[in-house]
Parts: sequence; structure tokens; C-alpha cells
Amino acid sequence: MNNPSEEKELIRPHSYDGIQEYDKRLPNWWLMTLWGAIAFAIGYWLYYQEFHFGHEPGLAVEIQMTENRERASAKSSVLTNDSLWTLSRDQKTVDAGKATFLANCASCHLPTLTGQIGPSLVDEYWLHGGTPLEVANTIEKGEIEKGMPTWGPVLGQQKITEVVAFIFSHHQRGEPIKQAPPWIPGQVMQTPVAGN
Amino acid sequence: MTNNPTKTVIEFDDRTVRHFMVASIFWAIVAMLVGVVIATQLAFWQVNLNSPYLTFGRLRPLHTNAAIFAFVGNMMFAGIYYSLQRLVKARLASDFLSKLHFWGWQAIIVAAAITLPLGLTRGKEYAELIWPINIAVALIWVVFAINFFWTIARRNEPSLYVAIWFYIATIITVAMLYIVNHLSLPTSFTHSYPVFGGVQDALVEWWYGHNAVAFFLTTPILGIMYYYLPKAAGRPVYSYRLSIVHFWSLVFVYIWAGPHHLLNTALPSWLQSLGMIFSLMLWAPSWGGMLNGLLTLRGAWHQLRTDPVLKFFAAGVTFYGMATFEGPLLAIKSVNALSHYSDWTIGHVHSGTLGWNGFMAAGMFYWLAPRLWNRKLYSPSLANMHFWLGLVGILLYVAAMWVSGITQGLMLSATRESGTVLAYPNFLDAVTSTKSLMHIRALGGAMYLSGFIMLAWNIFKTAHGAEPVNGTIEVFVEPAHPARPMGLKRGFINAPVVYSMLYVLFAVGWAATSGIYSAFSFVGIFSISLALLIHKDVSKATWNQWYEQLLENSLPFTALTTLAVVIGGIVQIVPTIIVNKAECIEGVRQIPYTPLELAGRDIYVREGCYNCHSQMIRTLVGDVLRYGAYSKLGESIYDYPFQWGSKRTGPDLAREGGKYPSIWHFHHMRDPRQISPGSIMPNYPWLYTQKTEVDLLPHKIEVQRRLGVPFAEQTPEELTQCVTIQEQTIAADLKAAGAEIPPDREIVALISYLQKLGKSEKVNSTSAQAPTASK
Repeated sequence: MNNPSEEKELIRPHSYDGIQEYDKRLPNWWLMTLWGAIAFAIGYWLYYQEFHFGHEPGLAVEIQMTENRERASAKSSVLTNDSLWTLSRDQKTVDAGKATFLANCASCHLPTLTGQIGPSLVDEYWLHGGTPLEVANTIEKGEIEKGMPTWGPVLGQQKITEVVAFIFSHHQRGEPIKQAPPWIPGQVMQTPVAGN
Repeated sequence: MTNNPTKTVIEFDDRTVRHFMVASIFWAIVAMLVGVVIATQLAFWQVNLNSPYLTFGRLRPLHTNAAIFAFVGNMMFAGIYYSLQRLVKARLASDFLSKLHFWGWQAIIVAAAITLPLGLTRGKEYAELIWPINIAVALIWVVFAINFFWTIARRNEPSLYVAIWFYIATIITVAMLYIVNHLSLPTSFTHSYPVFGGVQDALVEWWYGHNAVAFFLTTPILGIMYYYLPKAAGRPVYSYRLSIVHFWSLVFVYIWAGPHHLLNTALPSWLQSLGMIFSLMLWAPSWGGMLNGLLTLRGAWHQLRTDPVLKFFAAGVTFYGMATFEGPLLAIKSVNALSHYSDWTIGHVHSGTLGWNGFMAAGMFYWLAPRLWNRKLYSPSLANMHFWLGLVGILLYVAAMWVSGITQGLMLSATRESGTVLAYPNFLDAVTSTKSLMHIRALGGAMYLSGFIMLAWNIFKTAHGAEPVNGTIEVFVEPAHPARPMGLKRGFINAPVVYSMLYVLFAVGWAATSGIYSAFSFVGIFSISLALLIHKDVSKATWNQWYEQLLENSLPFTALTTLAVVIGGIVQIVPTIIVNKAECIEGVRQIPYTPLELAGRDIYVREGCYNCHSQMIRTLVGDVLRYGAYSKLGESIYDYPFQWGSKRTGPDLAREGGKYPSIWHFHHMRDPRQISPGSIMPNYPWLYTQKTEVDLLPHKIEVQRRLGVPFAEQTPEELTQCVTIQEQTIAADLKAAGAEIPPDREIVALISYLQKLGKSEKVNSTSAQAPTASK
């Protein structure tokens, strides 16, 4: 192939502004890439679009998430008010909960937990129940109309448990639980407070 | 005409080439400078300067449009006009058209540079320019086409060289893409709504967006490579038949690949599959171009040590090969699940524009300058320094984007607790983790820009004080080829064109119909093949003869190219456009916007929020966990333009409505860091002082109604009242939460829109089906 006389024969007679062209064979590996990709394309199309062996994307993600939930619930433990109170005195759990709280909750409830866009979490007034389990439930499900997001799918059971432990590390067992009046976001906020 | 060659002296129009070249260098520096500024904004949000005209959302479209249409556009015109004249041995057909083309194009660029920072935009990526400028672009493109084809018609060289094939494909396809994607209904002199909405708009946009890369940034540069690279190397092109195979496969396959920008979205899955498999099939055709470039350099590699021109070309073609390998890789659905919406895509396009376009441009300019001003290049060593600085710049940029893109992709999709909980629920974790890479990226970009400034200086010093020369050439005009003038009729009615047309007709018939018609078409395909073989045998023609006949006749060649690029678009886009919109919703239908929400949406579009926020929750576990149920087609059917986005520098907003109280948005838009420490989003203080534009609303709504959005019929008074009531409700809500704002301010309208995002109603499945989507 690299024999100069052979190259002479391959060169096309025509020249364009002095540019000449060989007419060499297409490299085999290049042809294999071309045909390989075409073969794969036909196979892929038949698999998904002609014979429907694979699920439609929306159905596929729903199936996968159902499986994930089943696996997770098989592993999870049952929480009680007692176990949560106990965890609220466990320094490691409280520290982990504090980190999660500062990253996700403090923008509305403030790092001091005293409330701004969302209500205070250190006084004895509660909107949706003041036991640890009730608070965990509120965090998990959210209060969409009031602006409290649904944290369950975001934080997961373990982190919610830790956050609840952190919140109740500011409370004492047996303190009174009072029903708070309906919450208007930001009602206690007089001046903008820096978020750090 | 005698049979003896006649000697003629032709003076080429190289003035136009010089103009385009200087313009390209100027705009390249502008585009890259804006690029470095917005890269710096991602590292230091303060660089947004609290100014409406300088925020990332408005400057990023300026950067992309300047890089594509101003820098590469002018470079392409310079490269095409210089090579075309020499390849066809004829001066450009019309000096007037050349001047009109040049000055018209520069006027368009200036108009774009003024309107984009003002927030005048169509809200579609790479198609942001407002409708009067769109019309100017289309007209100037037609001027270019006339000048080009007229020159070809007057050529003294019967046969068309491969570079010209690529130029023809460019001119035809860009015209088609540009016009279809810019169809709009104006509401004022500076504003319009696209005629497509929701999924249709998404499909048309990425058919255009992807092929802007293909036919504005790739095919013309391949044509330029085929002229300048063998010229600079003094070597013959590696393989003529590779040119044929890769040209036709490239132009045919490229046009189908657009939907790979919409993988794992609500786009019907058959379109996603087409987008993915055609992207994979694009790998070999693209590498055909790289091979023909690199292997042409065989026997010239030693020149690379000294010649900066060849250095740039060799590196440019190598980057082309790398980017066209990375492209198909990113188009694989599972890879795309990680890479899409991340910096990886940004790195990918920059290895194309900086590595391929930018280096091919530099090589071409260094080669052209001594020939256009008849003086040696001022400093080859400065050009070499430009090369190394630029190369290190690209590598830093691309490597930083790989690392940050993969980091973002992995962090945002990572889960815990058996895939039921996000590992990094706070989006900002991914932002802060990749922050240092934003510095490296800005540094890489700044190095690349510095290299280009060296080029500008080098070429200025070469040209300064030198006498501009127009190339003249003594050509021996060969006597007219006997078969050459085919005429209009023979142009279309000849073997290759007719057979290709029939093939396409039957193939489409086979795929698009069923039953007897489908069977008939299937038989038709075989009959055509048989007829083709018999015809070839009887006429004793060879493939080569047929093809060379095409090369001597630009009309059938152009017709065939048009056919090749039209098919993909028709198959993908037409079914989605003609399908009844009301049925294409997957059981969920968007609740139409109120007038105030529409005004808020126009503010969202004006500020370019789509540059950083998507509105499309993909069918992926990570997306659903983070943002809620995956997006359905029906949820964006009233969105003109669609705002699915292509990058998540911030989180997705498809279901933002109701996620936070209005007061959250009120504080967040004024100073995002007050709510989200570490955020890199700009402040938007002007939204709190500017009044919402309501005077135009009745007319805007009228236009939207004409597009098919079911706005309630209201008199202008009712409409104003409706706006006022909603404004006052939100303002009262904000006031109760401690923030006072006059109700007529833009922030109120924007909040009304943000709170509407994701609001839809369930539609009875008996009254609505989703024929093109899932079963």
C-alpha cells in the first residue's frame, strides 16, 4: 500500500486549484464501525419500538421506584415517641440532625429554630401536634398550603429521625403542648435576617 | 466555443475575504471575552453586578450567538469565498451581493449585541434573536446563497470538488432549519411567540439546535478543511471515495440526531430511540472526515514542528474526532441520564467550538494572511505560542467541565436507603462541590482568549502597511464538457436523482402506512433496486460515471443533498405536529395561565432563566425523588416557547408552584443567598422597581389564542381587572408575611408565574389518549 508507484496509480487525474486526491480503500476498521453502528441501531429499534421488550420510560421508572420502596420498607425500623426522646439525648444523632437542619430547614425556621418564614420550633406551641412522632410525620408529609415542603422523599427516614432528635433536644419530656393559632408565614419577622 | 483551451486572466474578489476575516477575528475576541465574563460569573456571582443588562441569563445568549454566528459565521464566509473562487476558477458573481452580504451580516450582529442584553429574546437557545432580526438573517442568507450558486453557475471548472459539496449542504440545510425554527407570530416590533408550543417546540428547537452544530459549525468547516489542509500540507487528499461515503452518510444521518437533546424527557419514546440510534450511526461518518484530514497529513508530519498552520489544523481535526466520539457516547440514553443538564455537555460543545472551529479558524487565518496581504507572517513564533496557550486553555476548560459535569451528575442522582431517598437533597451541595472547577474553567477560557488576541496582533502586524492584493490567476478554460449543460429538466430527471426519490418515497410509504399500501411500498423498494441494476447494466454506466456526472451538474447535486437532509426532519417532526394536540397529553393537561401569569412568564423568558433552570422532570429515579412525578407531555402544551431547558446550574422548576410560600420567592429573587447560602444566582433588584408591562397583554393573549391556547374571552377591561385582582392577592399575601411591595411590580407577576409552575388537571382517560406516547 505504501509503495510509491502504487500510490501514483491510485491518484485521481483531476486537480482542483492544485489539490489532488488519492482514491484509497476505506479502512476496514472504519467500515466495521459504520456497519456495527447500523446493526446495533436496527437491533435497538426492533427491541424497544417494534417488539416492545423494554418498558416505556415512564413505566420503567415507576416500577423501579416501587421496587426501591419495597426494599427500603423491608429494612426500616419502627419508631416510637420513646425511642425518639431517647435519641434526642444522643449527642451523635443530635449533631447529625443539626447538620441536616442547617442545610435544609434553617432557611425558613432559622438556625436558632426561632422561626421566620416557618414557625418557631423551640416554644411550646405546635400547629400539627407536638409529640416527636407527630413532628416526624409533619416533616415527612409537609404542609403544602402553609409552605412546608414534603421532606420524606428528600431526607428519608434516617435523616428525618435525626432532625426530630435535634429539634427535641431543645425540649424537655413532659413539657406542655399547646395548640398554636393558624400560621402566617413570616409573621414574626420584623427585619430581614441574614441566613448564615 | 472552440475545442482549444482559451487563456483568461481572472482577478478574484479577495477584498470580501479580507473583510470577513477581520470581522471574524474581531467578533471572536468579543465572543470569547463575554464567555470569560460569564464563566467568571459562575465562579463569583458578584460579577453579575446587580445590573439587568449584565446578568448571566442575558449574557450567555450573547456569548453563544456571537461565537456561532459572528465568529464562526464570518470565518466560514471568508473561508468559503476564498476557496470557492479558486476551486471553480471564477470571480464571485456579484460585487454588490458580496458587499451586501458582508455589511448585512455585521448589521445583524450589532443588532443582536444590542437587543440581547436588553432582554429582547425569543427564549429559545441559539434562536434568541427577535423576529425582525430573524428576517434579516434569512434574507442575508439568501443573498449568500445567490452569490454562491451564481458563482458556481459561472464556473470555469466543470467538476465540483468535495469542499463545495459541503458548502452546498450548509447553505441548503441552514436555510431550512433557520426558517422553520423561527416561525413566529409577532405581538409587537420586538416580541413574538413561536408558532410551535410544548413538545412540538422542543422537537423543532433541537432539530434546529443540533443541526446548527451540524450544518453551521461542522459541514462548512469540513469543506474548509478539504481546501486549506491539503493546500497547507502540499499533499493529496487521502481518499476520494471516503469523501463520497462520509459526505453522504453525514448529511443524511446528522439531521435525525436532534432528539438526543431530549433523552429521558417527556418526548415520545420512539423519537428518543431515533435520536439515540442515529447519533450512534453518526460516529463513523464523522470519523471519515477526521481520517481524510489526518491521513492527508501523512508525509507532512515533519512540517508540524515548524509550521503553525499545520499544527492548528492537526489539532483542530483531532478535536473534531474527539468531539464526534464524545457526541455519540453522550447520546446513549444511560450515559445521557448522567451527563445531561450537567457541565459535561458544556465541555463537549467547547471541545467542538474551541478545539475544532477555533483551531481550524486560526490555522486558516495564519495561512490566508500572507496571501491576502502578500507579506510573510509577522511572527511564526508568536503563532506557535498562540497554539500552545490555546491548547492548554482548551484542555483546562474541557477537563474542568468533565470533572464538574460528572460530579454534578453523580451527586444529583445519588440515592440512599435502597434508592428511596436522595443522598444530596440540597441542590446547592452540587454547586459548592464544583465551585473550584469554575475557576479553572474561567482560567482556561482566559488563556484561549489571550491566544486569540495574539493572533489578532500577529495578523494586524502582518497586514499593517502592506499592500492588500487580490489573487489573480491565469486559467486555461477548458472547452465546455459535452455532457455539462444538463438544463433544468435533465437536472431533476436523471438516474441518481430519480432513483433516490423513488427509494425515499417507497421507504416512507412502507414505514408510514399499513396493510396493502405498506406491502406495495415494500415491493416497490425491491422493484426499484431491480430496475436500477437493469438500467445500469443496459446503459453500461458505472457508479463512478453517474457520480461524476452529478459533480458536473450543481443542480441535481443540490437536489439530492436537499433530499438527504429533508427526510429526517419530515419523519420526526411532521407526525408530532399534525397529531391532535388535545390528545397528546398523557392524561394530564396544563391549566392555562392567567394574564398575570403570562406576563410573569414573559419576564422569566426575558431574564433568560432557562439558561440555568430546566422545566422537565425526567423519567429517572433521581429526578423524580428530587422534583416530583416525571413531566408529562400535557403539562407544557400551552408553553410558547417551551422552557424545558438544557442545563441545570440551578434546580428544575417544573413543579416549583406551591413548593414554597410567595414570601420565599420574594426574598430569594432579591438576594438568593439570604435563603440559600452558597447560591450563585444573580440578584434581581430591578424586578422590585419596574412595573409589569400590562398594556400589551390583551394583544399577547389574542396572539396566544390564535396559536390555540384556550384563554378565556375577556374584554380589555375585564382583563385588566383580572390582573389587578391577582396582583393584589399576592401583594396582600406578601404583606401578611412582612414584605410590602406595590402590586404592579414585576416581582409580583413573576411570583404568580412561579407559583403556577406544575399546576395541571387530570383528564379523563376516555376522552383523551396519548397515541404517540406510552401505551
